[in-house]
Amino acid sequence: MATEIIATEGDAMFAWLIWILPFVAALIIPAVAKVSKLSTGRVAIGFAAMSAISAAMLFPMALEGHEIHSQVDWISAIGLKAGVLADPLSIIMANVVGWISFLIICYSTGYMKGDKDIVRFWFWMMFFIGSMQLIVLSDNLLQLFFGWEGVGLASYALIAFWYRDKAKHHVGKEGRTVLGIMEYYSPTHSGMKAFIMTKVGDVMMLAGMFLIFAFAGTFGFKELLADTAWAVNMSAEGLLVPAVVLLFGGAIGKSAQFPLNEWLLEAMTGPTAVSALIHAATMVKAGVFLVARLGPLVFALGAAGILVDQFFEIIAWVGAFTALLLATQAMVNPEIKKVLAYSTGSQIGYMMMALGIAGLSEQFVDGYTAGFYHMISHAMFKASLFMAAGSLLHVVGSRFMTDMGGLRKKMRKTYAFMWAAGLGLMGAPFITTGFWSKDAIFAAVYESGNEWALPIFIIAVLTAAITAFYTTRMMGLVFFGKESKHIEKMESEGHHIHDAPRSMWIPYGILAVLTIGIGVIGFSAEGGIHELFTEYLDESFGIQTPHIDVEISGSLGFLSGLNPIAVGASLVAFAVGFGLGYIFYIGRWVDPVKFINSNIFFYALHKVILNRWYLNAMIYWGFVIAPLWAARAIWRYFEKTAIDTGMNTGLERSVRFGAKVVQGTQTGVAQSYLFVFGAGLLFVVLILLI
Amino acid sequence: MIELTSTPIIILAILGGVGVALPVISIAMKERGTVASYGIVTLIALFASIGYVLYQLALDHVAPAAIFSQDVLADDAFGSLFAIAMLIVAIFTTVGSFSYMKNKANPSVYFSLILLSTIGMVLVAYATDLVMLFVAWELMSIPTYILVGFLKKDPISNEAAIKYFLFGALASAIIIYGISLAYGITGSTNIGEVIQGFMVLDANLIPIGLLAVGMFIAGFGFKMGLVPFHMWLPDAYEGAPPTIAALLAAGTKKAGFAAALRVIVMGAVALSLDWTLALGIIAVMTMTVGNIAAIMQKNLARMLAYSSIGHAGYILIGLSIAPFSTIGIQGSLFHILNHAVMKGAAFIAVAGIVTALAVTHIEKIKGLGRRMPITALGLVISLLALAGVPPLNGFWSKLMLFASAIDAGTVVWWGPWLAVAGVLNSALSLAYYGWIIRKMYFEGETEKRIKEPRAIIAVMIFSIIFMVTIGVYPEPIIQFTEFATPAINVAFTP
Repeated sequence: MATEIIATEGDAMFAWLIWILPFVAALIIPAVAKVSKLSTGRVAIGFAAMSAISAAMLFPMALEGHEIHSQVDWISAIGLKAGVLADPLSIIMANVVGWISFLIICYSTGYMKGDKDIVRFWFWMMFFIGSMQLIVLSDNLLQLFFGWEGVGLASYALIAFWYRDKAKHHVGKEGRTVLGIMEYYSPTHSGMKAFIMTKVGDVMMLAGMFLIFAFAGTFGFKELLADTAWAVNMSAEGLLVPAVVLLFGGAIGKSAQFPLNEWLLEAMTGPTAVSALIHAATMVKAGVFLVARLGPLVFALGAAGILVDQFFEIIAWVGAFTALLLATQAMVNPEIKKVLAYSTGSQIGYMMMALGIAGLSEQFVDGYTAGFYHMISHAMFKASLFMAAGSLLHVVGSRFMTDMGGLRKKMRKTYAFMWAAGLGLMGAPFITTGFWSKDAIFAAVYESGNEWALPIFIIAVLTAAITAFYTTRMMGLVFFGKESKHIEKMESEGHHIHDAPRSMWIPYGILAVLTIGIGVIGFSAEGGIHELFTEYLDESFGIQTPHIDVEISGSLGFLSGLNPIAVGASLVAFAVGFGLGYIFYIGRWVDPVKFINSNIFFYALHKVILNRWYLNAMIYWGFVIAPLWAARAIWRYFEKTAIDTGMNTGLERSVRFGAKVVQGTQTGVAQSYLFVFGAGLLFVVLILLI
Repeated sequence: MIELTSTPIIILAILGGVGVALPVISIAMKERGTVASYGIVTLIALFASIGYVLYQLALDHVAPAAIFSQDVLADDAFGSLFAIAMLIVAIFTTVGSFSYMKNKANPSVYFSLILLSTIGMVLVAYATDLVMLFVAWELMSIPTYILVGFLKKDPISNEAAIKYFLFGALASAIIIYGISLAYGITGSTNIGEVIQGFMVLDANLIPIGLLAVGMFIAGFGFKMGLVPFHMWLPDAYEGAPPTIAALLAAGTKKAGFAAALRVIVMGAVALSLDWTLALGIIAVMTMTVGNIAAIMQKNLARMLAYSSIGHAGYILIGLSIAPFSTIGIQGSLFHILNHAVMKGAAFIAVAGIVTALAVTHIEKIKGLGRRMPITALGLVISLLALAGVPPLNGFWSKLMLFASAIDAGTVVWWGPWLAVAGVLNSALSLAYYGWIIRKMYFEGETEKRIKEPRAIIAVMIFSIIFMVTIGVYPEPIIQFTEFATPAINVAFTP
C-alpha cells in the first residue's frame, strides 16, 4: 500500500471545513443571539458536530495511509500560500479534537445553563476549537501560528471568562502566601498570567520560524522536507538546533512544560468546560502536536547526517522533569481541579518525553507512536475527569476536596465514571487505554538504547507511581470517608445532593466508557497506530524502521511483543501508588496529616511541594516584581528627565509647530489658494525641466 | 469602433438613462416622490452597473489593461478596477443619503447629479482619448460643484462650492491647455498616438512636451489633492454635505489617479524624463502635509479630508517608482480600491453622526461607542484600516507600496526613503485616528444608545466585512490588480 497524494475535491473540502466551520459558528452565534439567546447553544452543538463529522469523513483515508495536501494562494505578492495538510497524523488529531470538543460543547449546555454571558462563552469556545483545528490542519508554520495565537487569545478570554472576579471563581486559598507572594488568584489575573506566560514561548517560536524562513524561504512543512539544503546551510552556521529549539519554546509555553508551567494552575479559574477543553483537546495539546509535527521532519534531517540530537535530548529531559515536578505537586493540593491540572502537565511531560526519546533511538516510530497514543488516551480520560469534576463543583459548590467526601452513595454515576477515567489516568493494568499508552512509553524509553534512557526510565516509573497515588487520593477524598461539614450544612439547608443533569453526565460517561472500552483492546489499537505510523513515516519522511524480529517471550500468550521490564515496572508503579493511596485515603488506616507531621523530613518535603517548589514565587519575584522596580527606577531617573522633558516635549512642540505652519497657509482666502496653485505649477514644470 | 455591449457604453446607458429620467419623473409626479423612492431607483441603477462590470469580468470579455486603443474608450481591466471602486463609493453615497437627505429639498436632482458624476468618473477611467477624457472629466466635475453647494441656505456649503468651482475651472483650463499643447506637437488626441508622438519628438519640441506633462500633473493633481494643489480640498470637504465629501474623497479623487496613470506616467516615460523624482518629492510633501495638518483638527470631516490628502501621497509612491518596481502600480491600484472603501465608510459614518446628532466636532462625539455602537465600530475599523493595521485591507496595500519603494532602492537611491516617509506618516496618522477612537470609547459615561439610521448600518456592515475579509484573504484582489496593471515596459516595445 503506497501513500499517494489523492486530493479529490470533496475530501479536500472536508479538510478545509474542519477548521472553517467552528469559525463560522463563532461569527454567526452573536447574530443568532439577537433572535434567540437559547438557540445559540444548539448552533454551537450543530457546528461542532459538523466539524467533527468532517474530520470523521477523512478517517478512512487516514487508515489507508493517504494524505491530502490542498493549497490556495494567500498573498502571492510575497509568495505566501495557505493550505491544509491532512495526513494520518493530522486526521487522527482532528478527530480527537473534534469529537472531544463536541462532547464538551454538549456538556457546556448543562454546565453553563443560565449564565447571562452565554453568548460570549459560545463565541470563544467555537473560536477556540476553530483555532485548534487550524493548528492541526495547517500545512505551514505561519498559518499554524495564526491558529496558535488564536488559541492563546481564546484561552485568555475563557480563563478570565468570569471577569467580575467573584470570590468563588478564584483559585488558591485566600490569605496564603509563599515567599511573600499571594497564592490566591482572580480570573482576570489568571487570564493575563496565562496569556503572558504562553506569549514568552510564542515569541521564541516566532523567532525560530523566521530564522528558518530566512534560510529556507518557505514556511511549508512539505516544502521544508522536499529540499533540505536550507538545513545544511543552517547547520553549517550552527543555527539549526537553536532554531528548532526556539520552535520547541512555543510548545513549552502552550503545553505548560517547565519552566513555563505555572500558568496552567491558575487557568482553573475558567468554567470547568473550558478547563476540560484546554486540557483534553485544545490548548496544551497544541504544543504536543507541534512537536509531533516537527519531530519526524527534524529526525529526517538527522538521518541525512545533520546533527540534531540536542533537540531531542532537550525535549526528552524537559518532558521527564515536568512529569515528575507536576506529579509531586498533585499529591498535596486540596483543590480538585488543580490536582487535575497538575496531572495534565505531568502527563504532557510523558508525551514530550516519548517524542523526545523517539528522536534518540533507532526505532523512531516506537516513541512517536507511544507519545501520540498517550495523547489520545489522555484526551479521553482527562476530558472525562474534568467534566466529572465540574459536575462535582456544580453540585457541591466548592472547589476544595475537603468540602466533599462520602459522595459515592449520593452521586453514583459520577462515582462510577470517575473511577473508570481515573483508572485510565493511573494506568490500571490491561483494561485501560492509559495503561497501554504509558506502557508503550516505558518500553520506548527502555529500548531506545540512549545513554539517558535509564535515568529517564526511572523518572517515568516514579512518576507513574505518584500518579496512581494522587488519583487514588482524589477519589478517596471526594467519594470515601465521612461527609464533610460543608456537605452536612448543605443538606441541612435542604439542598439535595445528587448526580448532575443528563446533558452533563452523558458526555463524561461516554468518555469514561471509552477509556475502558478501548482499553480492553488497547494493545491491538496501539499496534494499529504503530503500523500506520511506520508506513506514514516511511512514505512521508523517508524514516525507515528497521524490522527487529526479537520475539520477547512473555509468560502470557496475548502479551507477546510486550517488553517484560516495562510491563513489570508499570504494574509495580500502579500497585505501589494505589496501595499507598488506599492506606491513607480510602481505607483511612493512617491519618496523612499525622503522618506528615511525624517527621521533619516529610514535613519539609510536604511544605516545599505544597509551595509549588517555590517556582511560582520565584517567577513572580524575578519577572514581575523586579521588573516593576526597574521600571519605576527607569521612569523616575530616565523617563521623567531625558524623555519627558527632552524628547517628548520637543517632539510634541515640533509637530504642533508644523501643524500651525501648515494650518497657517490654509487662510480660507481663495486668492492665496490660487496663488499657491500657480506657484505649484511653476514648481512642477521647473523640476521636470531640471 | 467600440462595441455597443462593452462595459463603459452599457454603464453610460444605464446611469445616464436613470440620471436624466429622475428629475423628469419628479416633475411629472409634481415632486411628490419620497427620498427613499428616488434613492432606491438610483441604487438599482448603480447595482445594475456594478453587476455588469463584474459580469463582463467574470466572462473574460475584458481586455487586460489595454492602455492604448484606437477607440475613445477601452473596455479593459484597468478601467474596470476603477469602475468598481467608484461604483462602490457611489453606492455608499446613495445609501448614506437615504437618511441624510430626509426633509431636504430636491432629492431627485441630488440623486440625478450623483449618477451623472458617477458616469463621468467611470468614463475617465475607461477613456483612451484626451478629448474623451476631458469631456468625462467635466461630466464628473460639474455635478459635484452643485452637490458641494447643495445646502443652499448654508453659507459654509456655498463658500466651499465657490472655492471648489474656482479651482475646478482653473484645473480644467490647465488640462485643456495641456491637451492642446499635446495635440499641437503630435497631431493627435488619442493617448496612444500622443505617446508614440512624444517618443519621436523633435528635440526643439521637447520643452513643450514637458510643459504639457507639467500641465497634466497640475490639472489632475488638483483632483488627487496633491500638495501644492490641495488648498481647496479641506474647505470643500468640510463645507460639503458629508455624503458628498465621501463621493469627492473616495470617488472623484480616484478619477484623478486613473487619468494620471493613463496620461502622466505613460507620457513621461515616453519623454524619458527624470519625472520620477518629481513625483516622489510631491508624494512625500503630500503625505507629510496631509498628516501633520490633520493632527490638530477639531472637525471630523476636515480631519478626514486632510487624511485623504495623506493617502494621495501613499498612492503616489507607487506611481513615482513605477518604472523600477513591478508591484508599484499594482500597490497603487490596490490602495486606490481599499481607500475607496475605507474613506467612503469613514465619511458615511460621519454622515450618520451628522444625521443623528448634528455634530462634527471631535469633542461632541464622546461616548459614541455607546450611543451609536455600529457606526462607531465601522468608523474604528475604517480608521484602523486607513492607518494600515493588520489584519485589515489597508495593511496589505501599504505593505505593497512600501515594499515596492524599497525594491526600487536597487535602481534609485531615494526609493527606500519614500518607504521611510510612508511608515513615519502612518505612525503619525495613528495619533489622530487614535484620538477619535479614544473620544468614542474611553470618554463620556452617561450616554444612552440612540437609534442609528438603517442605511448607515448597512454601509458600515458591508465595509467592515470587506475590510476584514480582504485583510485576511487579500489574494483575489491582488490577482485582480495584477491583471489590471498596465505593463509599462511592454507598452514601449512597438
